[in-house]
Amino acid sequence: MSGAALVWARLTPAGRILAVLLPVLAVGGALTTALLIVFGGAIAATIGANLPIVRFLAASVITFLITVPTAFLLIYMEMKIIALMNLRIGPDRIGPAGAVMSIVHGLKVLMKEDYTPPSVDVPVFTLAPVVVYLASFMTVMVIPFAPELTSVGLELGLLYFFAIGGLGVVGLMMAGWSSFNKYSLLGGIRAAAQAISYEIPLTLSVVGIVILTGTLSLPKIVAAQSGSLLDWFIFRQPLAAIIFFIAITAEANRTPFDNTEADQEIVAGFATEYSGMRFGFFFFAEYVNVFIVSALFSAVFLGGSNAPLVLPFHPEIIINLGSLGIMLPILAGIAPVIGTLVCAAPIWFASSRIKTWQALVAGFLIFGGLSTAAIGFWAWAMIPALGNLIWFLIKTFSLVFVFVWMRGTLPRARIDQLMGFAWKWLLPASLLNIFATALAVLLTTSGGN
Amino acid sequence: MPQQTRPSLDDPRISIPAGSEWYEPAPTPQTERQAEFLTLKDGEMFVNMGPQHPSTHGVLRVVIKIDGEKVVDLDPVLGYLHRGVEKLCENADYHQAICYTDPLEYVSSLFCEAAPVAAFEKLMEVDVPRRAQYIRVLTMELNRIASHTLFQGWMALDLGGLTPILWSFIERDEIVDMLAALTGQKLLYNYYRIGGVNGDLNHEFMSRLGTWMSRAAAQIDSNLGLINENELFVRRTRGLGVLDAKTALRMGVTGPNLRSTGVPYDLRRDRPYLVYPELEFDIPTRTEGDSLARYLVRIDEIKQSIRIIDQVLHEMPDGPVMAKLPRLIRPRPGRAFGAVEGPRGVYGTYAISDGTDQPFRMRIHDPSFVHLQLVGPLTRGNLIADTMAVMASLDPVMGGVDK
Repeated sequence: MSGAALVWARLTPAGRILAVLLPVLAVGGALTTALLIVFGGAIAATIGANLPIVRFLAASVITFLITVPTAFLLIYMEMKIIALMNLRIGPDRIGPAGAVMSIVHGLKVLMKEDYTPPSVDVPVFTLAPVVVYLASFMTVMVIPFAPELTSVGLELGLLYFFAIGGLGVVGLMMAGWSSFNKYSLLGGIRAAAQAISYEIPLTLSVVGIVILTGTLSLPKIVAAQSGSLLDWFIFRQPLAAIIFFIAITAEANRTPFDNTEADQEIVAGFATEYSGMRFGFFFFAEYVNVFIVSALFSAVFLGGSNAPLVLPFHPEIIINLGSLGIMLPILAGIAPVIGTLVCAAPIWFASSRIKTWQALVAGFLIFGGLSTAAIGFWAWAMIPALGNLIWFLIKTFSLVFVFVWMRGTLPRARIDQLMGFAWKWLLPASLLNIFATALAVLLTTSGGN
Repeated sequence: MPQQTRPSLDDPRISIPAGSEWYEPAPTPQTERQAEFLTLKDGEMFVNMGPQHPSTHGVLRVVIKIDGEKVVDLDPVLGYLHRGVEKLCENADYHQAICYTDPLEYVSSLFCEAAPVAAFEKLMEVDVPRRAQYIRVLTMELNRIASHTLFQGWMALDLGGLTPILWSFIERDEIVDMLAALTGQKLLYNYYRIGGVNGDLNHEFMSRLGTWMSRAAAQIDSNLGLINENELFVRRTRGLGVLDAKTALRMGVTGPNLRSTGVPYDLRRDRPYLVYPELEFDIPTRTEGDSLARYLVRIDEIKQSIRIIDQVLHEMPDGPVMAKLPRLIRPRPGRAFGAVEGPRGVYGTYAISDGTDQPFRMRIHDPSFVHLQLVGPLTRGNLIADTMAVMASLDPVMGGVDK
């Protein structure tokens, strides 16, 4: 056996992956560097010329990338909060308080066998999870995280949202039909019936807001709610807010409207025949959906990125980093070392039992915490969008908590009660809301004239 | 052999081609009822729920004929958990037979062993000491509470609620641990003996019981708030699967399912056994006969059981817990029927002795088996989701059904 084969045979699986990956990365990195050196100027010029397209591509990639950690965070939140409501401990083994548990779940799903049962309609069966996941991730693009932080500031953002959100149910129907399983079929049909019924009150409930603001653009709707707390549409359109909340619960297939995957009745609904990562896509899409509908509710009704209270002061720090000149890289290199030593010194002196490396690690952690806080404060003072983003996320995650809370508390509604509720109560109520809003707008404007 | 065409979802020989060695032609119906069940009208299809299904309470298989979401017809298929308990008992001596009956209904196993013990005691014509009788009443009522609290959680779980099952398990776990301290087993106690009980009350049991009794009523009440006042729960169960008293009596329904139709039939009153005639308690009844009534009757029974335990603890006399009997039980030839009122209905045992140390014949009457035949009539015409609600409210345990 030759030397190379012997080495290869003695490598662990992880070592083999590295042995293949490292040369590829090295060559790839060298090539990229060379390309950048040769064509760097031309590439920069092209990017400069096509800025909107580049921005769109970058925004798409970033939105796609943030959906996955969001789903992980939501899954962890749900596991932990429901555990507390059930008087259990919940995940507590992997990571601090089990925080990495959902990522491990994701890895587990990746490693599981991806089985395609015989007699399924293979292309449709394969495509269905992709459609479901794409539909939820495409709606993230129009969510106004902060005034400057919207991937695509569409003029018809709200309409786009409903249209693309409705595509998700096509994926569920595809999964239900192609699985060649009666439970899946029932789940898919239930999903279609539910989505069709609830999209009508969902869309009609925001018409009142469209009448008031005169726009379908989500950033403009958020901007219309700036000012005091009473400018939020939840106070100006309370009936619409209630209808909208119930309808998005049904849209996201959450308890009490989770008939599509009612495990006591139809096992796992449309996902019965799915396994491995294809099931994972459904699972992720569900949680991304929860985040999206919460974000939409907070953007449309809870003032979005507007702060509920205007702080009496806003810190103003103006440090022109450029004025430091050559000192900036020197400071950046030296400051962590000196900071770590300064923070470690009191611990090292405090007790002779503490070893030097322990003191250094503690000092590094303390300095890291302090500098993170300082940088955070600086960023908050310098970047107004950050405060807005934090407010938006606080509102969104409060709503996510409400969804999880409902899941922990409520039983499931029956399918006929669910449909009856949509058609008999929500639809007339949303029509009434439109009528009342239109009448009020007509009276006030004609009175003004 | 490649499949020629895509088979229909209603084809009973799904994906088994006609030339295959596994091919079986569709069965020819044996009875009129079977023929009626097996004919599909336009738009109808069969759905096979179980034996591995999340909510069929064990290994029950239900073949449902549905039209969209509506259940047209329904047929429970039994036997997946059959162990032949009755025959096993006939091949064991009288003491050994008792522990075979324990796992019949594993959530209320004290009742399952109380019934054969009662029958054997009648065969032996033995008087059980009064302290043993009180201990039996005490432990049986504890087991009844454990079973009913578990039912309460199951019912909510089958309707889609996640939390109530875990909350109700708090009470059940405490009772189970208590009984484990007394009997040495957590689930299959094997505590009753012919002529008494196996061992007197011990200190750990009594101290745990005292602590639990001081908070039980309040705790159970607070758990109920999550279910009883829930609009979704009430709307899904009120008026669902209405059972009238006449049908119930004709079908042989007993226990809370019968009392929910307005018939106050309770063996503890109507054919008194042990010391029940000396204790004060009410027999909760309702007249609606729907799933909600069946649920509420059981909840009321929990309160009555706590009342009984309270009296038993105050009135329990001192004395022996075991009658004097020969080691080898060998009753005179004869026959006897012993029955007790369990959390699901009447648990009965009919035993024939031929004078040897083994029962010549032994038959077990189990309420779950009787109640399971109601699932069809009560669910027909409702929705798929209602099948689960009806089945949960009848509270069958498959261990007892299949024996």
